[in-house]
Amino acid sequence: MSDEVAQARANENAGSTPGEARPKVVFEGVDKDFDQGGQPLPVLRGVDLTVKEGEFVCLLGPSGCGKSTLLNIAGGFESPTAGRVTIDGDPVNGPDARRVFVFQEYGIFPWASVWDNVALGLRHLGKAEQAAIIQPTIDMVGLQGFERSYPMELSGGMKQRVEVARALAVSPDVIYMDEPFGALDSLTRLQMRAEIVRIWQESQTTILFVTHDVDESIQIAERIVVLSARPGEISDIITVDLDHPRDLGSPEYGRIKNRLFETLGVSHSI
Amino acid sequence: MTATPYLILVASLGVLWFASAKMGRGRRWVMPICVAMALFVVWHIAVTAAGSEITPTPLEAGAAFAQLVKSNRLWGDVVASLFRVTAGFFLAVAVGIPLGLVVGWSTKTFEALNPIIQGLRPVSPIAWIPFAILWFGIGDGAGVFLIFLSSFFPIAVGTVAAVQNISLVHQRSAMNFGLKGVELFRRVVLPAAMPQIITSLRIALGVAWLVIVAAEMVGMDSGLGYLINDARNMGKRYDLVAATMIVIGAIGIVLDLMIRRLERFDEVRWGYAKR
Repeated sequence: MSDEVAQARANENAGSTPGEARPKVVFEGVDKDFDQGGQPLPVLRGVDLTVKEGEFVCLLGPSGCGKSTLLNIAGGFESPTAGRVTIDGDPVNGPDARRVFVFQEYGIFPWASVWDNVALGLRHLGKAEQAAIIQPTIDMVGLQGFERSYPMELSGGMKQRVEVARALAVSPDVIYMDEPFGALDSLTRLQMRAEIVRIWQESQTTILFVTHDVDESIQIAERIVVLSARPGEISDIITVDLDHPRDLGSPEYGRIKNRLFETLGVSHSI
Repeated sequence: MTATPYLILVASLGVLWFASAKMGRGRRWVMPICVAMALFVVWHIAVTAAGSEITPTPLEAGAAFAQLVKSNRLWGDVVASLFRVTAGFFLAVAVGIPLGLVVGWSTKTFEALNPIIQGLRPVSPIAWIPFAILWFGIGDGAGVFLIFLSSFFPIAVGTVAAVQNISLVHQRSAMNFGLKGVELFRRVVLPAAMPQIITSLRIALGVAWLVIVAAEMVGMDSGLGYLINDARNMGKRYDLVAATMIVIGAIGIVLDLMIRRLERFDEVRWGYAKR
């Protein structure tokens, strides 16, 4: 399918469903094999998924199921063995500054101050224009007063906020998050989940969020896509019909949690 | 009685030792000074016990040092050695860092150049002396060339390794934000490699300071290495040899302290943080 056709189809989709968000990131029959000593190691099999514009989707699955690989393919850091990923109808051919990745191990630059890190994607603008974006973004992630600090002087949670700010500063249309809170302590992690939901609600950005944490996915996502163990296939998609702030003790929360544990094949009574 | 100064010294060290309990920041210097003094005493006892007439005692070395300072001879040789080291070192920095950045970043350049670099690296700079003199004569030129050779390899190899160690997340961040060409090097490759580059500069300067003395002993007619040779050849002045060795050591320490100051900049401190 040529780009024009894809674009036309995307436009058609947008036009034919008024009031419905249009498709943003579309995975079509994505397979991925890794090379393991000359033998192909299947990592992903037949992933079909449509993420709608402005949607917050979690990719949930056991360690090594290929969920990070799927995110790397969408981000353009790896290419699929078969199938393809399109964004707004255009195939992904490589990393793109309009779609920003937030890494688990801090991708911010330790040699630059908080301010300069957030400025990375705005380097083509004048100083005043940069400042007009950087300061509100730093305020938004709650780092005011730390503009001149270096990452080594910050806690893990603050470093992750810098990385989120760096992503938000370019007003990306998609943010990819690869277990961004995995290295944080459990209290900071809870706080950061609330923050990311607030930021998502304010910025209206499409977010693809990889996690292996069942609770995390129910707390933040609108939709949870469950991947099976390697080779990863979509085994379930659950819509979380709960308003934010979510009551972690509600019956609906418990129901979703039970279903997720069942799909993942683990018992959660210990 | 030659031992009297040492007895006074030991007595005052004892006083210092007991006084140190009440000292603040200066306290960490007490032990090193005591150990150094103890070594001087051992040196003295060893020389007198062996009855050697030609090996100097520490006092004789000290007297020779005073004589060197007074004679004005020392400063000319210090400047000659320092000039060769500085010029050769900065040339090596100017060539080694950019080359290392490119070779480290580009796989093709690495495959092409690394075998040659690794083949030339094990050749001692001293082995180049005949060619250095043939090409540059017995002057500063040969010295600068030899120091360039001795610092170039640590700097280039260290920079290549530093660039190859840049973490995948930082590379991907750079790709994600569309950094390319000069901007990529200025904003990511160079700063990411900087802490390790500074370490290689430190190693290179240390090697340069070792090599210049050897080079001046073999093939030059000025500098601290030449001074050592000259002192031995002209009347077996081993006291001057010992004094010059102490000067060489002291300058080496100062050079290292100077280059270590680079590690304190905000942009590189992360690279030395305890993990």
